[in-house]
Amino acid sequence: MSQSPRSLYFVNWWIDAAAIGGLSIAAFVIARLLADGGTRAIELAQAGAILSVFVNYPHFSATIYRLYENPDSARQFPVTAYALPFVLLGAVAASLWQPALIAPYFVLLFLIWSPYHYSGQTLGITMIYARRAGFQVERWQRLALSTFVFSIFVVALAHRQQRTEPTTSHGVTLPPIPFPDWFAPVATAVMWAGAAVFLWFVVDWCRKHRRMLPPIVLLPAASQFIWFMPGMKTAAFYEFVPLFHSLQYLFIAWAMQISLQVGREGQERSWRAIRAVSMKWGLWNYAGGIALFIGLPWLFMWVSVPTATIVGVLIAAVNIHHFFVDGVIWKLRHTSSASPLMTNVTDLAAHPRPASA
Amino acid sequence: MTRAVLLFVLLAGPAAAQGPEFTVSRVPLTGRETFLAVVIVAMMLCGLASFFLSGRVAARTQTAFAMFVVLIGGFALLVLFGGFIYDHPLAAIGLLFLLIGLFKLMNQFESARRGGDRTDGR
Repeated sequence: MSQSPRSLYFVNWWIDAAAIGGLSIAAFVIARLLADGGTRAIELAQAGAILSVFVNYPHFSATIYRLYENPDSARQFPVTAYALPFVLLGAVAASLWQPALIAPYFVLLFLIWSPYHYSGQTLGITMIYARRAGFQVERWQRLALSTFVFSIFVVALAHRQQRTEPTTSHGVTLPPIPFPDWFAPVATAVMWAGAAVFLWFVVDWCRKHRRMLPPIVLLPAASQFIWFMPGMKTAAFYEFVPLFHSLQYLFIAWAMQISLQVGREGQERSWRAIRAVSMKWGLWNYAGGIALFIGLPWLFMWVSVPTATIVGVLIAAVNIHHFFVDGVIWKLRHTSSASPLMTNVTDLAAHPRPASA
Repeated sequence: MTRAVLLFVLLAGPAAAQGPEFTVSRVPLTGRETFLAVVIVAMMLCGLASFFLSGRVAARTQTAFAMFVVLIGGFALLVLFGGFIYDHPLAAIGLLFLLIGLFKLMNQFESARRGGDRTDGR
C-alpha cells in the first residue's frame, strides 16, 4: 500500500479530469445555458439512450468481465460468481410471477440502491486520487467526506419525493415516498456540515504541506454534487448522469485492466500492447452490455407481463448484480486491487529500465 | 376438589362433543402468503448451505450465505410492509436508514472481515 505512483494521473490531467467528472460539469453548464426543455429534452433523451449502448451498458459488463475473466477471479468470490445470479434470477421470477405485488418493490430497491452505489464510487475514486496525491485520508477525514457524499444522495432522494403524483419508472408505478417536511432541510444541513469539515481537513493539509491539494482529489465529490443537486433540476442534464457515472467507472476499470495485463511480468510494454488489450476489453464489454440489456430481456419476452415491466425488472436485477460484484472486486484493502490502481498508463507504454548493477 | 373435578367433567364433556374449534387450515394461500412461503424456503436453503459448508469453505464464503438470508428477509419485509411508509412519514425515514444499513452490509459481501479470515488459506 505504500507504493507511490510516478504521476498523479492514470493518463494525464486532461483525460483523467474529463473522465472523472470534468466532462459532466461541462455538460451541466452547457445544458443550463442551452436546454429549453420540450423537444430538445426529448432529443437529448434519445441521444442519451444511444450513448447508453456505448458507455452505460459496457460499464455493467466490465464488472462481469473482471469477475469471470479467468477461473481464478471467479473462484476467489464463489458466492458472488455462482450463487448470486441464481438469487437474483429468483427475484426476477418472483417479480414477473406477481408483478403487482413484488415488481414495484424490486424496482424501488434498485432505485434507492443506485444513487447509494454512485456515492460509494465517488468515495472510492476520491480515495484513489487522494492516495496518489499523498493526501492521507484517515478515519475522521473519511467520515467527513462520507457524510458529504452520502448526504447528497439522501438530500436528492428527499427532494425527488416531494412531488405529489406517482411516477412510472422501469415499468412500474411508484407513489412518492412521503418524507416529513423537515427531513430535506436537516439532511441538507448534515451535507454542508460534512463538506465544511472535510474542506477544513483539506485546508489544514495544504497549510502543513505548503502546497495545494491537486483539484482532481475533490473532483469526484464536486461532480456528484453537481449531478444530484443542481443537476437534478436540469432535466436535459439529469438524463445523462448514469452515463457520466459509467464513464468514471469505465476509465478506472480500463486503467486497472491495462495495469493488470500490460504491466505483468514478461508482458510487452508498449502502446501497441495497450491498444490490443484495450480493444479486446472494449469489444467484450460492448458485446456483454448488449447481451445484458437487449439479449437478456428478450429471453423473457414470452412471459405474459407488459414488456416495460419485464425490461424494468431485468434492468433492476442487472444493476443489483453490478452493485454486489462491484463491492467485491474493488476492495482497495486488497493488494491485488490497490497496486494496479497506483500505476500510470504512460509508464506501461515504456520499456522498463534495466536494473542498475 | 372432588366437586371441581366433577364440574370440569360435566362441562368438558358436551364441549368435546361439539368437535374441535381449531383445525388445520385448508384455505388456499393468497399471493402474499405464497410469496412468504417461497421466501422462507429460500432463507432455509441459504441457512442450510451455510451450515453444510461450515469448515469446508472460507469464513467469508459462509458469511455470504448468512448475508443472503438478511437480504432475502429484508426484501420480503419491504414487499410485505413497504406500503406502510406511504401513510407514515417517519416510517419512510426509518425505511430509508434501514435500506442504507442493508446496502452498507451488502457492501461487505464476500469480503474478508477485519480481524482476519482464519479459514481462508489464500
